[in-house]
Amino acid sequence: MVTSNTLHVVSTELTVGSFAMAGAAFLFAGLASHHRFGMQRHLNLFDHVAHFALAFGLLAMPMAIATGIASSPGDGIDHPLLINKMFLSCASLGLALGVLNVRWRQGSKVWAEEWGRRWQMLGGMAASGLILTTASLGGTFSRGESLLDILHLPYDFVPLMPLWLSGLVLLVGLANMVTGRQAAS
Amino acid sequence: MHRNFWVILATLLLFAPSLGSANPSGVGEGAFDAQCGGACHGDADMNRSSPSIVTLQSEEVAYEGLLTSVTVSIENIQTTQQGLLGVFLLSSLSGAGDLPSDDGWTIISNSEGGTENYVEITVLPSQNQRNVTWTLRAPDIGQYELHGAIHHGTQDGSEAPFFGQSSTPIVVDVVVVPEDLPRLTSDYAPTTQRLLGETTTMQLDTTFVESVEVEWRVAGGEVQTTEVIALSDGRWSFDLPASLQPSVVEWRAHLEGEGPSQTTPWFQLRSEAAPWTVDETAAYVQSFALIVVFMAGFMTLQKRQPNEIQKTAFSDEAFEGGDI
Repeated sequence: MVTSNTLHVVSTELTVGSFAMAGAAFLFAGLASHHRFGMQRHLNLFDHVAHFALAFGLLAMPMAIATGIASSPGDGIDHPLLINKMFLSCASLGLALGVLNVRWRQGSKVWAEEWGRRWQMLGGMAASGLILTTASLGGTFSRGESLLDILHLPYDFVPLMPLWLSGLVLLVGLANMVTGRQAAS
Repeated sequence: MHRNFWVILATLLLFAPSLGSANPSGVGEGAFDAQCGGACHGDADMNRSSPSIVTLQSEEVAYEGLLTSVTVSIENIQTTQQGLLGVFLLSSLSGAGDLPSDDGWTIISNSEGGTENYVEITVLPSQNQRNVTWTLRAPDIGQYELHGAIHHGTQDGSEAPFFGQSSTPIVVDVVVVPEDLPRLTSDYAPTTQRLLGETTTMQLDTTFVESVEVEWRVAGGEVQTTEVIALSDGRWSFDLPASLQPSVVEWRAHLEGEGPSQTTPWFQLRSEAAPWTVDETAAYVQSFALIVVFMAGFMTLQKRQPNEIQKTAFSDEAFEGGDI
């Protein structure tokens, strides 16, 4: 029988691998769009790989979350690391959705402008970086160590906002998206 | 549309057996019959006999309505990678009506800090033997059997759910309480849990007792005595030192009076770090807010049109054609 622990390892590797590839491809796409190292002729390739890998990583993420919950000991969120993992992965999810949405709406023109190409590259890389940090926290939670231990990150500090402030931030974000759509149409 | 439906359905069906058929992280303590009344560990098509040896220890005689203790001992432990082992105290092994309470016993505490007949313990890789002790209030006069049982998996998680039980039950003879027997009051229930770093003042309520001596030990360690203060007629108090790390302190009282001297069972006092808690609603709302804010923020950022946009020579045709 395949346990949820094993499935979690599989789904996590799928997710993290996709995001890692997306992060590297966004870096190369950014370099190519800035005409660095003679990579500009590969921009089309890097662009497609970056966004496809990012989308595939997003598709694999729900399975990683579901198997992670099934395999974690105890009930509910009972450890600071789990909260921080949730926050980081949600930030990454939002950023990745934003990056993909911009690419879908603007098409390849996103690489045509200085402003757009810079932030598309940084947004994609940041989304990947956040997921890799999340995976590193998972290693710390399950095995007590990870590669990022050398950075001495404050794993036990949970930046939890009051409920009212989270609600306010959520409303501002939703209002921003609605007004943005209205302005676009 | 049809194709999407079948793909999604097939994917869900593929996940369903692996997620739904096992609890490798356990189910937590609870009131469970033998083999959980016929779960995976009780399914004759799936389960296997555990190689572990389960035995019980207890006093052969208990007094009606007074406290006694029963210890389930597990040797040659085999368990999962997480070291999870489920341990039962049962009144029978039929799979229904097996709780000690079905025979009239009342569980006052167990050594894991709970009050249920099923507990889950974490066994360290170096440990080959573990004990779980229950403190029980004896039922009406009569002879009663008690059984021990275990549930576990294997290190690699690839094999069947295992089930083990004590080869022979213990038989406890519950007899009438002698009139002048020095004893704890019939409703006495000791404190079983505390936080790290706290000295605990315990109170004893007794009947027919003229003097009390209390012994304590860190589980399995050297026995020490502590000073007992008489508060009033039949009420006593004593202090147990604070624990600096999660551990179990056991204590018992020697009760002297006109009747035959009595010694209580070892009571367990578990010390644990204060549990880490968080407002889960606030955490989930903040998570959702993070998704929306990061998405909206990035889209807004990319909508911004700086005054001086540096256009490159990229055209859509050149981009799609791979010329750049």
